[in-house]
Amino acid sequence: MQKAERLLDLAALLLRASEPVSWREIQEQFPDDYGGSGEAAIRKFERDEAELLELGIPVRWVGGDEDLSAGYLVDKEDFYLPDLKLPPEDLALLYLAGSAALAQRVFPYARDLAHAMNKLSFAARAPGASEVAAVAALQLSADDAEGDARAETSARLEALSTAVAGKKRVHLVYAGAERRARTERDVEPYGLYQRGGAWFMAGFCRLRQDIRSFHLARIVSLEVNAAAPRTPDFEVKKGFSLAELATRESWEFGVHAPVRCRLRLEGPASPEERDSFGPRAVWKETDGRAVVEVVARNQEALLRHVLSYGDRAEILAPRPLREKARKVLAALARRVS
Amino acid sequence: MTRKAAPPKADARDRLRRVLFLVPYAVRHPGVPVRDLARRCGVPEKQILEDLDFLLGVGCPPFAPDDFLDLYVEGDRVHVALHQSFSRPPRFTESEAAALAAAARALGGEGRERVVRALRDAVPRDRRAIFEELLAGIFAGSPPARDSLLGRIEQAIASRRALRIRYFTATRGEESERVVHPYTLAQRLGHWYLWGHDEGRGKALPFRLDRIRECAVDEKRFEPPTDAELARGRLFSEASGPPVRLRLGPLAAAWALARPGQWRVVKRDRKGGAVVEVPGVSDEWATRFALSFGGDAEVLAPPSARRHFGDAVRRALARYPG
Repeated sequence: MQKAERLLDLAALLLRASEPVSWREIQEQFPDDYGGSGEAAIRKFERDEAELLELGIPVRWVGGDEDLSAGYLVDKEDFYLPDLKLPPEDLALLYLAGSAALAQRVFPYARDLAHAMNKLSFAARAPGASEVAAVAALQLSADDAEGDARAETSARLEALSTAVAGKKRVHLVYAGAERRARTERDVEPYGLYQRGGAWFMAGFCRLRQDIRSFHLARIVSLEVNAAAPRTPDFEVKKGFSLAELATRESWEFGVHAPVRCRLRLEGPASPEERDSFGPRAVWKETDGRAVVEVVARNQEALLRHVLSYGDRAEILAPRPLREKARKVLAALARRVS
Repeated sequence: MTRKAAPPKADARDRLRRVLFLVPYAVRHPGVPVRDLARRCGVPEKQILEDLDFLLGVGCPPFAPDDFLDLYVEGDRVHVALHQSFSRPPRFTESEAAALAAAARALGGEGRERVVRALRDAVPRDRRAIFEELLAGIFAGSPPARDSLLGRIEQAIASRRALRIRYFTATRGEESERVVHPYTLAQRLGHWYLWGHDEGRGKALPFRLDRIRECAVDEKRFEPPTDAELARGRLFSEASGPPVRLRLGPLAAAWALARPGQWRVVKRDRKGGAVVEVPGVSDEWATRFALSFGGDAEVLAPPSARRHFGDAVRRALARYPG
């Protein structure tokens, strides 16, 4: 019997049974698959049991007592997807977030997400407007312009999701942006994060002996340690927070010791502009101009951000950074004149 | 074994997961068209027909005639006569729930943590710890607005009620009041949008969520968009005018080309630099974008964009008297 068929037959048997099904009975019903008395038959059954569990079908063994015989069962309560009992606005949140993520096609466990979205139609009595809105979200969020690049990033994300889940070490060839040189390194992948529409892997880099972020589009090649797939290669360091790392501003990634920097911004700053300096910036506003203070651990990155405001922004301190801004602008001015 | 893009194991697993949804869905929607099932599962109709064929061989020991799944297709519509207990899909697997929970956290709303708990509870009991672990390893983004604001937008979408919003238009630098029929939320190139019918302008428009200052749910109800309106829906208007051409140094190219965006690389040099074209962007955008690379990029064309860039550079330089 084919495996897919056998697994469903087994699930059907256990779901329909009103009491635990003994190993002997299972063997009798599937003589070609689990027949015989050897260890091999038990092993095969255990593998099937694990696969059913991965499909969301929890098979349980219960020891017998006076009233109940010993055997395997699928607890119906623990099998069927329950009604999530969410208010309509929460259901809308799930539908819209899921559809938009699915439309990006680049998302951790993207295949699973697609299955989850299908199941969602059973998780509420009347999804109604949310389901209609989800179709629109899927259509509007879809982006076919970058098919190939997306397929590649998506495959990397899938491999890395598995590595993060199994705590398996990965070997990377990485094209760094700052140094532009290709490096090879072993990384313990802690998590995956998205920022500005791009995905990054955060992990402990054995080459740099520190926690680093890796832009997925710059990973040239990737190899997940295939040895002992069920045994973790590492533990995530205590105190690591993926959210903290993911929400760091570009000038907060440590390149040098922290330096307090001050800059001026002309005109009323829109909330979006305020957000662009992050939650840790200190703002002092007077007469339609603002003085902003941030602590930078990568002044080059801060300089780039400030320059993007054109003549509306100016670095005030420290002096060397101000001088750097002048040099960069003077060089550009010579090019365009 | 031949090595193809999708290994046979994944096929078998995918099929199982598909049919565990397909059967209960057809039970709940008697006579569902094969086409609909194919669309929902993201596979060709032929695959669904093969799945249905496969299902006919599935049953429950002792395999008497009534112990088999019984499905049939009549005039392209699927009916289930005997479902053999597959009347609802299984609970979420830990990775299904974790992916959905991560997506929900990145959008936000007052129900954010409520839905994460509900998803956790919908995972089989002894897989919940793994769900937590998987979820801790994904951060899909920060919510685009305050939870209270998003909560009201989600409520309006779910109840099909109009929204009064105070919206900031970046190109004019001013705020305006609008009444919008919120059709949906969508995401592109790292930004979230509310897409809905603007009563004042008489058409469906996108509104960036981080530019909605305030919103209130109105009593007025609205009709969902027609299929035609939906098919016309775009978050971005088609690019018009000449594309902006930029020269990117090696550093800028490495950063820029790794970002999502609609680039056309015109030429790459040996050191890693590039000349690229971006369609449908303003001169302001091009200047700001080029300057964000700290001297490693410049705007080349069209002349108006080049001029805008040059003026901005000279004015910025004037702030730093030498």
